[in-house]
Amino acid sequence: MARAKLSEFKAKQLLSHTLKIPFFGQQIKSEKLDNISLAEQSSHSSQTKQPYVLKVDQGIKGRFKKGLVVVNKQLDELSNIINDWQNKRFTQFYLEPYIPHETSSEKYISIERIRSGLKVLYSPHGGINIEDNSQSIHEVILSYNSDNKLALEHISSTLDLPADALADLLVAFEDNYFSFLEINPLLVHDNTLNILDAAVEVDSTAEYFVNNAWSRKDFTDYSLQVKTPEEVAVSELAEHSTAAFNLTVLNPNGNLFMLLSGGGASIVLADEAYNQGYGEAIANYGENSGSPTTEEAYLYTKQLLSLIKKSTAVKKVLIIAGGVANFTDVRKTFAGVIQALEEEKTNLLQQQMKIFVRRGGPHQIEGLALMRDFLSQNNLLGEVDGPEMILTDVVNKALAYIKK
Amino acid sequence: MLNIQSIREINPKILILGNYPVIQSILDYDYLSGKKEPSIIAIITSGKNYQKYFFGTQQILIPTFRDINKLPPSLCQQINLSLNVLSNRRVLNSTQEILQKLPNLIGSVIFAENLPEKHSINLYHLAQKSHTWILGPSSIGLLVPKKLKLGVIGGIEARQFLQSNLLTNGDTAVLSASGGMTGELMSILAKSTRGLSFALSFGGDRFPILTPKEAFLAAQADPQTKSIIYYGELGGYDEYEIIELLKTKQLTKEVICYIGGAIAALFPQSPQFGHAKAMAKNDQETAQAKQAALKAAGAKVGETFSEFVELINSNKHEKIKADINSNIQTMIDQITQRKEPLITTSISADVGGQPTLLGEPLLDFARHNSFPSIVGSLFLGKKLISKDTENFIDIVLKLAVDHGPYVSGAINTIITARAGRDLVSSLAAGLLTIGPRFGGATNEAADHWLTGVTQNIQPAAFVEQLAKQGRRISGIGHKKYRIDQPDPRVKLLMDHTKDLTDKRFTNYALEIEKLTTAKKGNLILNVDGTIACVMLDILSEKEKLTDEKLGQLVSAEFFNAIFVLSRSVGFIAHFLDQKRLDEGLFRMPEDLVSNIKSSTED
Repeated sequence: MARAKLSEFKAKQLLSHTLKIPFFGQQIKSEKLDNISLAEQSSHSSQTKQPYVLKVDQGIKGRFKKGLVVVNKQLDELSNIINDWQNKRFTQFYLEPYIPHETSSEKYISIERIRSGLKVLYSPHGGINIEDNSQSIHEVILSYNSDNKLALEHISSTLDLPADALADLLVAFEDNYFSFLEINPLLVHDNTLNILDAAVEVDSTAEYFVNNAWSRKDFTDYSLQVKTPEEVAVSELAEHSTAAFNLTVLNPNGNLFMLLSGGGASIVLADEAYNQGYGEAIANYGENSGSPTTEEAYLYTKQLLSLIKKSTAVKKVLIIAGGVANFTDVRKTFAGVIQALEEEKTNLLQQQMKIFVRRGGPHQIEGLALMRDFLSQNNLLGEVDGPEMILTDVVNKALAYIKK
Repeated sequence: MLNIQSIREINPKILILGNYPVIQSILDYDYLSGKKEPSIIAIITSGKNYQKYFFGTQQILIPTFRDINKLPPSLCQQINLSLNVLSNRRVLNSTQEILQKLPNLIGSVIFAENLPEKHSINLYHLAQKSHTWILGPSSIGLLVPKKLKLGVIGGIEARQFLQSNLLTNGDTAVLSASGGMTGELMSILAKSTRGLSFALSFGGDRFPILTPKEAFLAAQADPQTKSIIYYGELGGYDEYEIIELLKTKQLTKEVICYIGGAIAALFPQSPQFGHAKAMAKNDQETAQAKQAALKAAGAKVGETFSEFVELINSNKHEKIKADINSNIQTMIDQITQRKEPLITTSISADVGGQPTLLGEPLLDFARHNSFPSIVGSLFLGKKLISKDTENFIDIVLKLAVDHGPYVSGAINTIITARAGRDLVSSLAAGLLTIGPRFGGATNEAADHWLTGVTQNIQPAAFVEQLAKQGRRISGIGHKKYRIDQPDPRVKLLMDHTKDLTDKRFTNYALEIEKLTTAKKGNLILNVDGTIACVMLDILSEKEKLTDEKLGQLVSAEFFNAIFVLSRSVGFIAHFLDQKRLDEGLFRMPEDLVSNIKSSTED
C-alpha cells in the first residue's frame, strides 16, 4: 500500500490530541443510524441551541462546492440532510459544533513529506477560494538537516500561529507518520487554533509504528467505494499475507480477464490491451506478486473466476501472464491456479473460454508443462508460452481470439 | 555513490541480514562465475551457530550471529556489502546499525516492501552522509555479471542464470523500478545481440533511497556501459530528473525506455497500482506525459512494449560472445541434483579407506599428537594452538580419573557388574548417573564464571543473586578442605595459570571464593570450579575463543566432557576389578533400609 487518506474525524482527533485542543467532533456511519437519533449521538452538548457543521467524510475533494458540507444547522435539521446524502450512496459523515467567524480570518497551511524535508505552503488568506489567492501562498522546505529557525518564525508570524502550536503541529505530523496535511481554513484566535477543515494522508505502511493512533479502518477509501464481493475478498487476502494481491473491476461485463503477476509486468500487460484499443473489453486490473503460496494463488484465482462467471459477455478470454520472475515459483503458483480452474472447468467450457498463458521464472519448465497439460485436456487451451515469446504478445494473441 | 567499475575491482564480502532462500542462489552464482570461494561471509539471524549451504556440490557452513553487535571485529572489517531481507519493521534500525558498525561497507540492498516513507528518507540522508549506496526498499538488488549477485535479482534457480545469459559481460545496463520487469528485461537482452553490463532495481516506492537519477549517473560513469534500458512507471517526478540530465548532457549514453501505466486513463480516478509510487496525481505524473517528455529530451521511447523490444533489438553489433565455462551445463546439472546430506560433521572422515581426523590422515595425527592433544582438538573441533591447553587437559584427565568406590557412578557400575552384566552395560550404568548432582558441576561452574564476567556482574551481587534464588554456587564448597587447609589438587590446577596474562575468569572465581569463605571456611573454590575457570581462561587466551564461542561450549556441555572421558577409565577399572574379585550379586542389607509409614495427611 501507499499513501491513504484518513477520515476527517480521525485527522482532527489526532491533531486535537497533540495540539491539546478540545475535540467535539463525531463520526456518523449510516449503517448505525437506523436506531440512534442524532440527538442521542450528540448528547455531550449541553446547549440545546448549539449550531452544527455536517460533512460527508469520505475523502472527497471540493466538498463545499459539491454541496456535501452544511454549516450553521440545528440538530433537528440534520436528519433530512443525511437522508438526502444517503440516497446519493454516501455512508460516512462528520458532525461538529459550528464556530462562527469572519471569512477574512481564514488561513491556510499544508505540509507534505518530500525527500529533502517537509514542504510547507501557507497563506494568511485561506478558505474555499484559496486557489484564487495563489499569489499569497508562501512555500518553504523544512530541511531534515537544519534547525529551520527562520522558516519557522516566518510561518508563525504570517499565520499569527504561536511557535508552540506550530511545533505541536509538526510533532503530530511526524509521530503519526503523516505524508500530507492540509488545514483550510485554519482560525487562530487568542493564541488558540481552530481547525475548521483538515485533510490528512498517512503512510499506510506505517500502521505498525503508530501504536493504534490510526488503522486502515480509518482510511476513507475503505468505506468509500462500493466494492464487489470479489474485490473485498482479495483485499482481505492481501491483508493476511506477505505476498501482494489486488483486484479492481473495470468493466463487470468485459470479456478480457487478466490474472497477472508482478507489479510492473501487470501494468505493461494491461497497457498493451489499452494501447491496442481494447480498453472497453478489459474486465479487470489486478496483480499478485511477492511469491504467493499455492493456497493463496488458488484463492486469488477463485475470485477472478467468480467475476468471469458473472460477466454477461459472450466470448471470454483469460490471460494468465507475468514477466520472468526472480523468486516467485511458477510451478507452485500455477498449481494453485490450476486447482481453481479445475473446480470451474465445466462452467468455463460452456462460456467458450480460452486461456492464454505467458510466464517465466523459477521452475518455469515444470509450471508451464503442468498448465499446458491441464488446459489442453480440458479444451481451454489458447496458448502457453515461456519467456521466448515477448511479454505482451500474449495479449495480442488473446485479442486475436476475441476478434475472430 | 554507486560505482560499478569499483565493484568489478573488489572482492565482494557480503553480510546477509535475515533469512531468505536467496542465499543459496547467490552462492550458486558465485560458483558458476568461477569463483573459488563464496561471497557471503556471515548471516544475522536467530537460531543455530551456522547455516548449511552448498558451494557447488560441496557443503559449507556460514557463521550466523544473533545481532549485528555479536559480529566479531575481524568480520566487521571484511564486510563490504550487505543484503537486508528483514521485514519492514526491522529495516530502519538494522540499516542504521550496519552503517555504524561496518567501516568498509560500500553498499546495501533492502528487499522488504512497505517500508514507511519516513524511514526511507531517514536512510537516504544517512546514506548521503556516509557515502554508502542503499538500493531499495523493495529492491531485488544489483547484478554485475560474473562479479556480484546481491539479491534475488536474476533468479533463484541456477538454470535461470544461463537462460538470461547472466554469466557474460556486455555493454547494456538495465535499470528498473520493478523487480519483475528487471528479470524480464534481462531475459529480453539475452535474446538480443546485446549483453548485460549490470542490472539493478531501485524499487517502486515513492522515495527510493538510491534515486533513479543516481542510478543513471552510475551507468553514465561506468566505462563498460554503452546503452541504458529503463523501465519506469507513472507516478512521481523521477523521470524529469533524468530528462534534466539528458538536457544538460550529464547523460550522453543511449537511453531506451518504456513507461508503464497508460492504462490509468481508463480509470475514473488514477488508481493506485502495485507499486507505492505508481499513481498519477496530476498530468505530469502520467505515463503519457513522461513518455513524451523523455522523447523530447532525446531518449528512445517505446510507446508500446513491442516497440520498446524492437528498439532494444535494433542494434547493429554482432551478438556478444558467451563467455562461460564449457562445462557450465554439467555444473548446473550437478547443482540441480545435489542432495541435502543427512549428517554433517567437521571431525573425521573415512573415504576410500583413508581415515582422517580434522582433515589430516589418522596415522599422521596419531604420530604427531599426544592423547590429551587429540582429546582437546577433537572436542573443540579444531587443532589446539597452544601446548598449555594440552598440558591442562592432561592434568584434568589424570585428576578426574577416579575418586573412590563411594560416589554414585562408581557404585552403579559396581552393582551392575556384580549382577553379571557385561562391560558396556556396567560402564553405561555408571555414566548414566552423571548429571546435575554428580559430576556435572564443572559445566555449571563454567556457566557461572562466564555469565558473571561477560555480563559484568559484581561478585557480591552474583553471590546475593544465587542466595536469593536458594541455589548453590557450583564449583564452590568441599566436605573436608577449608580455606585454612587448602585442597592440594586445586593448587596443582592453579599452577597452569602462571603463563596467562589475563585471568579474568580465574580472578572472578577467586573473588567469589573470598566472599563465600568469609561466611564459612569450607566454601572454597573446589576442583570443579577451578577446572572451569582455568579452562575458560586458557581457551580464551591461548585458543583465542570469543566469549560467544565459550557460551556455545557451555551450552554443549564441553566442560563436563573431559570429566566423562576420564571417569570412564575409573568405571571400567571398577568393572574389571569386580570381575577379577568375582563378587556376587549385590543385595542391600535390610537393616540399612529404613521403612517409614507414608503420611496420610496431605
